[in-house]
Amino acid sequence: MQTFHIRYRNTQGTLMRILNAASRRALDLPLVQAEPAEHDHQVTLALDVNQKQVGQLYREWYGIADVIKVSAGGAHAAEWATPHPPVGVPVEESRAAARA
Amino acid sequence: MLKGADIVLKCLRAEGVELVFGYPGGAIMPLYDALEGSGVRHILTRHEQGAVFAAEGYARVTGEVGVAMATSGPGATNLVTGIADAKMDSVPLVCITGQVRSALIGTDAFQETDVFGVTLSLTKWSRLVRTIEEIPEVIAEGFYWARSGRPGPVVIDIPTDLLKAKKEFSGPVKFTPHARPADAKADGGFTDTIVAWLLKSAKPVALVGAGAKLSGAISELRRLLDDLNVPTFATVHGLGAVPPQSPYYLGMVGMHGTRAANMALHETDLLLVFGARLDDRVTGDPTRFAPYAKIVHFEIDPAQLDRVRPCDLPVIGNLADTIPAFQAELRRHTLPDFSEWRAVACGAERAELDPRGLAQPTIRFLDELFSRLPQDSVVLADVGQHQMWAAQRYRSSTPRGFITSGGLGAMGFALPAAVGVQLARPDTCVLCVSGDGGFQMNIQELATVHRLGLPVKMVIIDNKYLGMVRQWQQLFYQRNYAETDLSDNPDFVEIAKAYKIHSFRLNEDAMREFPVSSETGDQIDRFLRSPEPELLVFDCAPEANVFPMVPAGAALSEMLLEEEPSQ
Repeated sequence: MQTFHIRYRNTQGTLMRILNAASRRALDLPLVQAEPAEHDHQVTLALDVNQKQVGQLYREWYGIADVIKVSAGGAHAAEWATPHPPVGVPVEESRAAARA
Repeated sequence: MLKGADIVLKCLRAEGVELVFGYPGGAIMPLYDALEGSGVRHILTRHEQGAVFAAEGYARVTGEVGVAMATSGPGATNLVTGIADAKMDSVPLVCITGQVRSALIGTDAFQETDVFGVTLSLTKWSRLVRTIEEIPEVIAEGFYWARSGRPGPVVIDIPTDLLKAKKEFSGPVKFTPHARPADAKADGGFTDTIVAWLLKSAKPVALVGAGAKLSGAISELRRLLDDLNVPTFATVHGLGAVPPQSPYYLGMVGMHGTRAANMALHETDLLLVFGARLDDRVTGDPTRFAPYAKIVHFEIDPAQLDRVRPCDLPVIGNLADTIPAFQAELRRHTLPDFSEWRAVACGAERAELDPRGLAQPTIRFLDELFSRLPQDSVVLADVGQHQMWAAQRYRSSTPRGFITSGGLGAMGFALPAAVGVQLARPDTCVLCVSGDGGFQMNIQELATVHRLGLPVKMVIIDNKYLGMVRQWQQLFYQRNYAETDLSDNPDFVEIAKAYKIHSFRLNEDAMREFPVSSETGDQIDRFLRSPEPELLVFDCAPEANVFPMVPAGAALSEMLLEEEPSQ
């Protein structure tokens, strides 16, 4: 399981376009966490992807008009594979940090 | 104070729009009400799909943004195929749809569909307008995204109450995009690498796609190809970018590409790709695509890289920028002598397109048509066997001279698209080649052709089958011709007459003589040079097939040149 952080301007449909890049490849979305981040927004996704899909997703996300930055977190296994809400993810902490 | 509809039209004029294609309906009536005197000419088609394909035709031949309008609900959903087509083939397109009034959105009101949601994955950018104040910004941004980078479709959905509302209007606005890392262009470093690879290469080739035309860098590309002088071929959208008389040009590549092109692509050790997506119709089995080659991929859209096979060197940017940089470096070196490789790849033995096919009356007919076309004519092909025959036989160096629905393969495209092309190029001969199946998918646009008096030259290759599907059924489904029989086709000549369009029929026998009789030749010349719309129905053998053909899942080198004897 790989985590991705996508910074975007929160305009109409942008989050949906980001998610669609994954769903059109029939990838499960065990974690989706979108929140304000400084002046923009950020969505964190956990996806079970191969290396080829990583490249495709990166490029497709960058092709979305209001996506600003794409980065990958570490590879995770168990904690991201759990049902919503993901266990052990300090959502409130990260939100507070993002708003600070 | 101006109504929202007037603001929309003023903003369209500010974007250079003179022509829109559409079909009126309830939610978009305020925009239609404001058309007169706006400076925007509206072309009424007979179906919204006709409107969006016509807008595409206009955009494909001019390079400018095509605009289609439709009402909410079914009007908007009828645009969807054209929007998908524009996405696949990189066509700058803006679709403006009326929406139910703001207060009713989300209530399943009459003729309400979530067109924003429906088209989300098909558009490059889209907006559901929420206030009259944002109309100028939305239109400016929409046109920006339709044109920028790899062009594509945009949807702007406007609730009917906003079209009727009034506000002060201070004029159109300009959109300035925010900078993003993805917008970074290739630096000059790539040129050294490519030249180094060329110097070591024994069998280099060049593949030209639609990007060559979209970039406007045709002259630069042709100069580069002359310098390279290596075997070169084109995708279906790259046809016309390379002068076909060039000694290194091998024609179209891919599923129905020439034997010479496919073999050279299979054998090459260095593949230079200029503005092509490398989809499955071009690559065949991706695991065996150019198996011995390093791939250099010149591409404006990073999302197109590595889709089916990783490239060894991506060169991101507009060809208008990257080709001159490459050529400047290239001219500082002396390339190896590729003449031996060129002689093999371009040799007479391989250059023969399809020895059997040359005897096919339909191919002979297309050759006659194409050879008699006035210079700078535009040929449109619908989707199916006739499309591939036309692509194989097309011999013109007009960069935007061959137009077809390539990526989506949308039957019914050609006739309405020809309407848009002819309106954009009123003095040009526009030849629209369709099959009997596809022609019936938008046959209603004969009314548009007639109303506007457009001198479109329409050809139906009538084999009374859905021919390409039938061919697959013959070759891969043991001749089980399930639901592809169209033997009860209407009489197209009589249908054209009902639309007051002159029409006539030619049959295969007219093509069995070589050269064709002067009577047949005169008929074709009269047809092509008539100032009126004309329809020519060509009766094609029901089981004529398109060869070469690379079976689905096979490598390009495994193309069939004729039916397998056992089948």
